[in-house]
Amino acid sequence: MAEEVLAPLAGKVLSVAVEVGATVEEDDEVLVLEAMKMETVVYAPCDGEVTAIKVEPGDQVEEDDPLVTIE
Amino acid sequence: MKPYFDPMERFGKALKPGRVKRAAASADELRAVEAGIAAAVTKVEEAGFPTEKINKRGWMTVYQRLEYLVDTGTWHPLHTLYNPLENEEGTTNVVDGLGQIAGRWAVVIGFDNKVMAGAWLPGQSENILRATDLAGRLNIPLVWLVNCSGAKLPVQEKFYGDRRGAGTPFYRHAELEQAGIPVLAGIYGTNPAGGGYQAVSPTILLAHKDANMAVGGVGIVSGMAPKGGFDVEMVEELIAKTRAFAARPPGDVATHLDATGFFTQVYDEETGVLDGIKDYMRAIPAYGAVFFQAAEPKAPAFPLEDLYHLLPANQKEVYDFDEVLARLVDGSERLEFRPDYGPEVFTGLCKIDGKLVGCIGNRQGYLGKGYPEYADYPGMGGKLYRQGLIKLSEFVTHCGRDRLPIIWFQDTSGIDVGELAEKAELLGLGQTLIYSIQQTDVPMLLVVLRKGTAAAHYIMGGPTANRHNAFTLGTAASEIEVMHGETAAVATYARRAVKEKDAGRSLDPVIDKMNELVERYFETSRPAYCARHGLVDEIVTLPDLRRYLQAFTGAAYQNPTSICPRHHMLLPRIIRG
Repeated sequence: MAEEVLAPLAGKVLSVAVEVGATVEEDDEVLVLEAMKMETVVYAPCDGEVTAIKVEPGDQVEEDDPLVTIE
Repeated sequence: MKPYFDPMERFGKALKPGRVKRAAASADELRAVEAGIAAAVTKVEEAGFPTEKINKRGWMTVYQRLEYLVDTGTWHPLHTLYNPLENEEGTTNVVDGLGQIAGRWAVVIGFDNKVMAGAWLPGQSENILRATDLAGRLNIPLVWLVNCSGAKLPVQEKFYGDRRGAGTPFYRHAELEQAGIPVLAGIYGTNPAGGGYQAVSPTILLAHKDANMAVGGVGIVSGMAPKGGFDVEMVEELIAKTRAFAARPPGDVATHLDATGFFTQVYDEETGVLDGIKDYMRAIPAYGAVFFQAAEPKAPAFPLEDLYHLLPANQKEVYDFDEVLARLVDGSERLEFRPDYGPEVFTGLCKIDGKLVGCIGNRQGYLGKGYPEYADYPGMGGKLYRQGLIKLSEFVTHCGRDRLPIIWFQDTSGIDVGELAEKAELLGLGQTLIYSIQQTDVPMLLVVLRKGTAAAHYIMGGPTANRHNAFTLGTAASEIEVMHGETAAVATYARRAVKEKDAGRSLDPVIDKMNELVERYFETSRPAYCARHGLVDEIVTLPDLRRYLQAFTGAAYQNPTSICPRHHMLLPRIIRG
């Protein structure tokens, strides 16, 4: 089952901590968003394998934009 | 009231390995800052003569006296690094903190007799006033270990006079006594002039057999009439007089036990004085621990060490305040006040050692769509908005009514700004919170978890709440400043940059100034600076936070001046609805 990791808020992608094919555990860091001078870490919502990364550092995202897919 | 308080709602969740892994570097950074603070503390403790030298003279050091006097494991030092005027001795020369003596909480303070025999130094009276005010706020005894040689004369202009100068503590002692709070003194060594008042101003005076206290010491008694200066002839005369002066120091035990009777008791041994203080502490009024317990004390459900992985050293990184709180309060339980309103702040009831406290803290991160309701921009925790300010005022008011001590946790970048914020009354609501705090009469503790910035630092139970804030703690991540250094540099130099640009001049000098200011802000907002200058009363390690919360709560409930029966409290009913 695939789970989309969505942007919790609008902001700029500061860093991406995973690669496609990487195995992640729930609560592993996936990426960091910067907004309103603050850095929000986005954590993996479940265990699984990263099958797609839809953003890269510097991208501007809106709230609920898909960021990463974990299967 | 068991259905309300035993148990309350459980919150928090166990740390997952991913979170621990991610925060490893941050945890190391926090521990490194704590190690730096610990090294600075050791330096203060080692100031002056070595312990062995004092012991060889037959005396105990102030630290040895404290160790003997205070119940094991209950010492909570405060103001350890406080040295606001940067004395070369590295200390204000008093050692103070909260501790239990014979099972009862007291504020304990003593002169460091290793440093100039416990002399008055610059900044010391401010330190003492913090201790006296703490005793007053918590309504617990003040215990003195007096051993004060008087003023460091070459720098008297820095502390002798003024409203809050070296004589002010004597008025504070009287003020405490006026409020029914005893001041107990163990008196050692030679205490002339200011030292004499330090010794005589407490309520009960317990002296060592070799102690003395006097209006003036030998130095003054043997002095000469001023002639406008000194020459060789006069100094020769002085040398002769000093050699010949064999009088014993005035005000010894024979005088103040037998003639004046000021000393309540005199002891042959140094430890005897301390045993005497313990006996008096056993005689002071104090409620037993169970009297105000709403439930059996419980440890938090999660380890305190988790805090290193929950509180990021990076000031910009968002974290979950609720998880921090879950590591600090009994059973990781709470009753949250208005969870659906003012999401940027947590307000609720928690227990510390079974006793109820109001807890308040800044939540971090994105606050969700449509908040703040008055603005077209997103709200981020750490800032205060209209709803949060209203909620804080309400909660504080109810805590005052229900006689609940309040523990504030600050990590705030300030109150929302701009025209929309003005129209939303934020300026007035900030002062409304100050008014609400002032209307209460309950002790408050502040923990500056990370940022204490802008007016939010004042209004969220900051040390500026002089009559309410008992003391303020900082952590390895604390940063206290009016605004971030870069913001300050912009505010200070933006117009000048425009002028330089328009004049066709190089921008480098302005940029240098801006960077200098940023650096200065950084240096003067670090934890050690905050402790040295009294912006916090102590920097504590993260796992030690709960111990201080326990000391505060225990002391606040030891002998409260006003109480509210639990079944008469309004706040739990409002929360439950």
